[in-house]
Amino acid sequence: MIMRVIPIFLLVAAVSLLLPVNLPAQTARAVAPNDYTGYWVSIVTEKWRYRMLVPDKGDYTQVPLNTEGRKVANAWDPAKDQASDNACKSYGAAALLQVPGRLHVYWQDDNTLRMDTDSGTQTRLFHFGASRPSNEPPTLQGYSAAQWGGGDPRDRRDGQGGPVQDSTGRLVVARELQKEPDYLKVVTTNMRPGYLQKNGVPYSGNAIVEEYFDTFSEPYTRNTWLAVTTVVTDPQYLIEPLIMHAHFKKIPDNSGWDPTTCRADEPR
Amino acid sequence: MPRGRTTVRFTKMNWKTKSVLFLLLLLVLVPSGPASAQVDLTGEWSPRVYNDHMDVGDYTGIPLNEAGRLRAEGWHPEQLDLPENLCRPHPIDIGLRVSVSQLRITTELDNETRQPVGLRLHVAWQEPEQVIYTDGRPHPSANAPHKWSGFSTGHWEHNTLVYTTDHLKEAYLTRTGVPKSDKATVTTRVHRYGNVLTIIFIINDPAYLTEPYIRESSWVYDPNQVIAPFPCEITPDGTIVPAGKVPSFLPGKNDILSDFATEYGIPLESALGGAETLYPEYIKKMKTMKVAPRTSTEHYRRTQ
Repeated sequence: MIMRVIPIFLLVAAVSLLLPVNLPAQTARAVAPNDYTGYWVSIVTEKWRYRMLVPDKGDYTQVPLNTEGRKVANAWDPAKDQASDNACKSYGAAALLQVPGRLHVYWQDDNTLRMDTDSGTQTRLFHFGASRPSNEPPTLQGYSAAQWGGGDPRDRRDGQGGPVQDSTGRLVVARELQKEPDYLKVVTTNMRPGYLQKNGVPYSGNAIVEEYFDTFSEPYTRNTWLAVTTVVTDPQYLIEPLIMHAHFKKIPDNSGWDPTTCRADEPR
Repeated sequence: MPRGRTTVRFTKMNWKTKSVLFLLLLLVLVPSGPASAQVDLTGEWSPRVYNDHMDVGDYTGIPLNEAGRLRAEGWHPEQLDLPENLCRPHPIDIGLRVSVSQLRITTELDNETRQPVGLRLHVAWQEPEQVIYTDGRPHPSANAPHKWSGFSTGHWEHNTLVYTTDHLKEAYLTRTGVPKSDKATVTTRVHRYGNVLTIIFIINDPAYLTEPYIRESSWVYDPNQVIAPFPCEITPDGTIVPAGKVPSFLPGKNDILSDFATEYGIPLESALGGAETLYPEYIKKMKTMKVAPRTSTEHYRRTQ
C-alpha cells in the first residue's frame, strides 16, 4: 500500500512546485528581508571634505555636471538662498543622506517605511505597493516608491518566447525560479529642484533618484551597518548618472539626536 | 474489488506507515521558501569611481591611529619614482579606488576539472588580479607568503558575494602614502543592483587603524569596454631620483603636510584623520579649532 501512495504524493508535490505563486497579499513589513528600523549615525568616510564642510563655490570635481549644471553651480549664493526660503535645497531627497547626521527609521504603517533625519529635520516616506498620486505638487522629498529588491523573477518564457502571464497580465513565476529579495530599492520622483552638494551643485525637478539600501553585520566589531548607494539621473544638469555612497552605523537609541533647521551655509 | 488486491484502511495502518504519510503530506502542504541563487557578476564594468585623498596630508575620513599617522607623515611623493615602486601594483581594494579602475570579472575554473571554483577580478592599472575562491577551500597557514592581492575566499549571502582577503603585503590606503600593514584583512561585499555593481570594502588593520574603515565604489555594466594592456617598464636606478636617495620626511619635518588643510580651510588636526572625525558631531568641534589663513579658494581646480 505504502508503495502505491508515495508516487501519488510525490506527483502532487512536484505539481505544486510548478504552480504559479498565488500567495495572499502580505504587507511590506511582514515580508521585509532585513530590519532597517532603528537609529543610525553617519560615518563619513566618503567625500569627507564635501560633507563635513561647506565646499567652496565651484568645487564640483566629483560631479559629472554638464555646461548648464556648471553655470547654475557657479551662480550659487548661500546668503540669497538663506534669505529667500531656499535654505533647505541641500536637504532634498537626492542628497539628504549625504548630509552628516542621524536617522530614525520606523514603520509608519504596514506599507510605509518612514525615515526622519535630525539634520535639517526632514522626513522621507517610502511607499510600498502604492502608486504616486496624480496632480501632487513637487516637494523637497518627492514621492518615493519602495520595493524589496533582489527578488526579481528569473526569466521564464512560454513556448512562443514570451513571458508567462496570468489572466490579469501579472508575470507568472514558479517558486523554484524566484530569488529571495535582500535589499531595499527606492525610486524617488516629483521632487522640487535641489542641491547635490552643499555648495549649490544642482539637480532639477526632472531628476530621478534610485537608492539601494543594504544592511549587514561587519565581522570585526559586529556593528550593524546601513550602506546606501544613490544613483541620480538628471539629463538637465548631469552628463551621466551620478553615483554616491553613504554609510551609517546602527546605534541603540536616540542619544546624540541633534535636530537642526535647514542652513544654506552649514554642513548639516 | 479485484481478486488478489488488498486495501488497507487508514485507521488500520500501523504507526510507521502513518508517520511516513504524514511527513509526505507536510512536504506537500508546507510552503517552500524561494530558492536562493547567485547573481551573475561576470563581465566588463566601467568605473564610476571618484578619487579622493589626492593630496599629501589628506587623511580625511580615515580612522588612523598614531602609528599610521606617523608612517603617513613620513611618506614623500618621490617614493613613487623609485625603481622598485614604478611597477608596483596596488592590492585590489586600493587599486579599484585610486587608479584607472576598469574592472573585468570572469569565472575562475579549476585547471583540471574545468569546474567553477570562484571569480577572478582584473583591474586596468598595473593589471592586478584577485581570485576569490568560493569552493570552500581553507586559507593558507599564517606563515604562507603574502601577496599583493592576498588570498581570498568568499560565499554568497543571498544575492551578495562576501569575501575575506588576508595574506596581503604591506601597501597603502591612499595614493598619498597612508599605510596599510600586512596584518590587515579586508572583508568585501559585492552587490549587483541591475547594471550597477557596488563594492564595499571593510578594512581591518590592527596596526594602523583604530576601527574598521569602510568605503565603497560603483561600476556600470559595459559589455563593450576595452581594457588596454598595461605594460610597465622600470627605468634604471638614478634616472628619476638620484641613485641611493630614499625620499622621505623625518618625523615632524614634513614641510608640505599642512598644505592640504590650509588650502581647503580645514583644521590641520581634522585633515589628519582619526575615528572622532567621522561623526556628525565633529562638525561642531571643528568650529572651535584653529584654522590657518587660507591662501586660495580655488585649490580644487588643479585636480580638474
